[in-house]
Amino acid sequence: MALTSQHDDTAERSSLLRRVFFDAKIRAIFLQVLTVAGVVGFLGWLINNTMTNMAARSLSAGFDFLDVSAGFGIGFTLIPYQEGDTYLRVFTVGIMNTLLVAVVAIVLATILGLLVGLARLSTNWIIAGVARAYVELLRNTPLLLQIIAWYFGVFNLLPRPRDSVVLAEVFVLNNRGFYMPSPVAEPGFGIVLTAFVLSIIGAITLYKWEAARRDRTGKSFPAIPAGFAMIVFLPILVYAAAGSPLSWDVPALQGFNFVGGVSVPPSFCALIVALAAYTSCFIAEIVRAGIQSVSKGQIEAAGALNLPANWTLRRVVLPQALRVIIPPLISQYLNVTKNSSLAIAIGFPDLVSVWMNTSLNQSGRAIPIVAMTMAFYCIVSLSVSLVMNRYNRRAQLKER
Amino acid sequence: MTLVFEPKANRPAPTNTVGFVGWLRQNLFKDIPNTLMTILGLYLTITVVGWVLNWALFNAVWDASSRRECLDLVGRSGACWPGVVEWLPNMIYGLYPKDQVWRINLGFLALIVWLVPLWMGGVKSKVAIGLSVVAFYPFLASYFFLGGDKGPIWTALVALGLWGLVWVWSTALCERRTGLSIGTWLAQRFADADNDIAQKRVRQAAALLLFVVCVGLVSQWSLSEVRTQFWGGLFLTLVISGIGITFSLPAGILLALGRRSDMPAIAMLSTLFIELFRSVPLITILFMFNTMLPLFMPAGTEVNQLLRAIVAVCLFAAAYMAEIVRGGLQAIPKGQYEAASALGLGFWQTTTQVVMPQALKIMIPTIVGNFIGLFKDTTLVSIIGLFDLMNMARAVGEDSDWLGLFIEPFFVVSLIYFVFCFAMSSYSIGLERKLSAGRDR
Repeated sequence: MALTSQHDDTAERSSLLRRVFFDAKIRAIFLQVLTVAGVVGFLGWLINNTMTNMAARSLSAGFDFLDVSAGFGIGFTLIPYQEGDTYLRVFTVGIMNTLLVAVVAIVLATILGLLVGLARLSTNWIIAGVARAYVELLRNTPLLLQIIAWYFGVFNLLPRPRDSVVLAEVFVLNNRGFYMPSPVAEPGFGIVLTAFVLSIIGAITLYKWEAARRDRTGKSFPAIPAGFAMIVFLPILVYAAAGSPLSWDVPALQGFNFVGGVSVPPSFCALIVALAAYTSCFIAEIVRAGIQSVSKGQIEAAGALNLPANWTLRRVVLPQALRVIIPPLISQYLNVTKNSSLAIAIGFPDLVSVWMNTSLNQSGRAIPIVAMTMAFYCIVSLSVSLVMNRYNRRAQLKER
Repeated sequence: MTLVFEPKANRPAPTNTVGFVGWLRQNLFKDIPNTLMTILGLYLTITVVGWVLNWALFNAVWDASSRRECLDLVGRSGACWPGVVEWLPNMIYGLYPKDQVWRINLGFLALIVWLVPLWMGGVKSKVAIGLSVVAFYPFLASYFFLGGDKGPIWTALVALGLWGLVWVWSTALCERRTGLSIGTWLAQRFADADNDIAQKRVRQAAALLLFVVCVGLVSQWSLSEVRTQFWGGLFLTLVISGIGITFSLPAGILLALGRRSDMPAIAMLSTLFIELFRSVPLITILFMFNTMLPLFMPAGTEVNQLLRAIVAVCLFAAAYMAEIVRGGLQAIPKGQYEAASALGLGFWQTTTQVVMPQALKIMIPTIVGNFIGLFKDTTLVSIIGLFDLMNMARAVGEDSDWLGLFIEPFFVVSLIYFVFCFAMSSYSIGLERKLSAGRDR
């Protein structure tokens, strides 16, 4: 009796419609098929619409425009570019400019953020307060507003070239931009560069050797100061021995403008200053949180072992703080790279500005241009997160 | 030899560490470097604050008819406020018709009125009230702001909005007086206490009656249409960020659940969406939707620019929110899931009753941080040509009377943004403290 009723039950359960709702496995497959069909259908609908619309407006989606001459000038380029170069060249120029902004802003923001973060931890009430005010004021106002305010409110109002602000006789700031001397390598400078590279390799080897020896014998050796000394003094010695094979091209006023050296436009200055200041607030908070995350007991334990203060910092606090600091720090670096696209608001020719705006309007190839821009940002952020994942796996606390 | 006890001299008393002087000594003048830092900090503060006060108040011009007059009076050493004052209505309401501005005010007043019960003591159904804001308020607000002809469906939706507002207040007042929600109270009043079906009928009848009254009221109402081209200023900023915030939380929760799902196809699609939208800057998404949305839609569909911007902001915000929610979900120990499943709870019950309440509590600071980020990011819509708060500030300096007047409007706009963002973050810190009261004893 009991057997038959069970049998009836399974028979009923196996009816397909019931299983779609009540059998977890089948329901999962059903849901997934439904979702995929929905997404594919939606995408197909979009693509179909797009094709119809593009045919109606006689637009094309091909990449064949890349070797066509772009026919517009770009105000600031890292690699040689002239009006009439191809669209592919424009794309490269845009990428280089974006990367330049990102790198410079990252370096400045890290230094500034580290200082402000340490200041926030200061026992001095006034210093901590000033740092807190700086952080709260800058991070609670939009970055775009800050960029535009720096541009229109500061760098555009600078004096004309003739009345430039000159710092240390070689750095020049005026409403055409910021000028600084550029190094000019003379024959023989290659040796200095080689010496520099060799000393870096030497310092790394020294550090590794020291770490291995410390693990083996327990004896320590000041590898970091020695390495630094090597990197600084070896190239200087070689430089002196080779007869100072480097001269400086100093900017000088010629007619209405400064000539010589390297120069960057005011929009670049505004962008860098705003990005660095804005990001430094977030970095400061990250640094503060990281240092505060190391529990007091760790420092007390180091003290109980009679470790000297710099050892406590280097071998106890920093390794643990860095584990907390580095992941959000890297994501801030990615943010800087993404935020550099705001350059468009003040006319600095970064990727979005020259490619997604000017080139798109000129060529009308919306789809390939949007795809290429997104691909660039995706590649940058995916490769960074790949590196991050490897670091995280290494730095993670090994638990059960 | 006799040993005589000779006490050592007392050590000097430690320096005073209590009281005002002690506090000063501990915090400001501990040693020489510390003192130097204090002096440096004081100098910085006094210079900056003094400079700002001088510029914004003491040297400022309050009465002039053009920027030239200001410059003639004080040059660049003082602010020129008349230009900002003249443009202030535009900076707040955009180009919304002046005689219709009361609709914006009333719309936001309705929001505040709607939210007040959340802070009233004795109100129990706060979650329902909070959800009702998200679910019903948008209908009411969009009719206030947009106006125009309403067909039967639109009328019904707006009536639903009004219905929500009436329900929230009647429930709040009823709960304060009797401790019962309005529905339960009515049901107990007009039906037998142990007749469940009759009670349900009473509730339904009351809800329906109220809805009919609302439809009647709404259909009598007519507001002239104000097209979105005229929307701007702080109003537009609040509309875009409001929609972005309300959309991003539920969408983010769904995406996060999707990414953590056991179903590979759903997990992959969610991951793809999240990673794609997170790895590109918002401005590229705005550009993409601005140029491509007209291409995506069937020929002849008119997609106005505000809608394009809102779609872009919503999708972007949802992807970011998804990662935050995922972080919160990962912090929930496995034992919680196991305990829920031991109690026989299914997926949705586990998620809504056990996991989400705990995860959301952990995530509050990050979520609010994300809202602040979204609010600041709405300034980017100015790049695709919408006149939000920041673009309005920029327009002041392009007005022929106030040519080049940039710093003053930017200063005011920064203050507005600061007030909003700082209020949000302070509120979240307070909320976090309140909610974690059980944990940190």
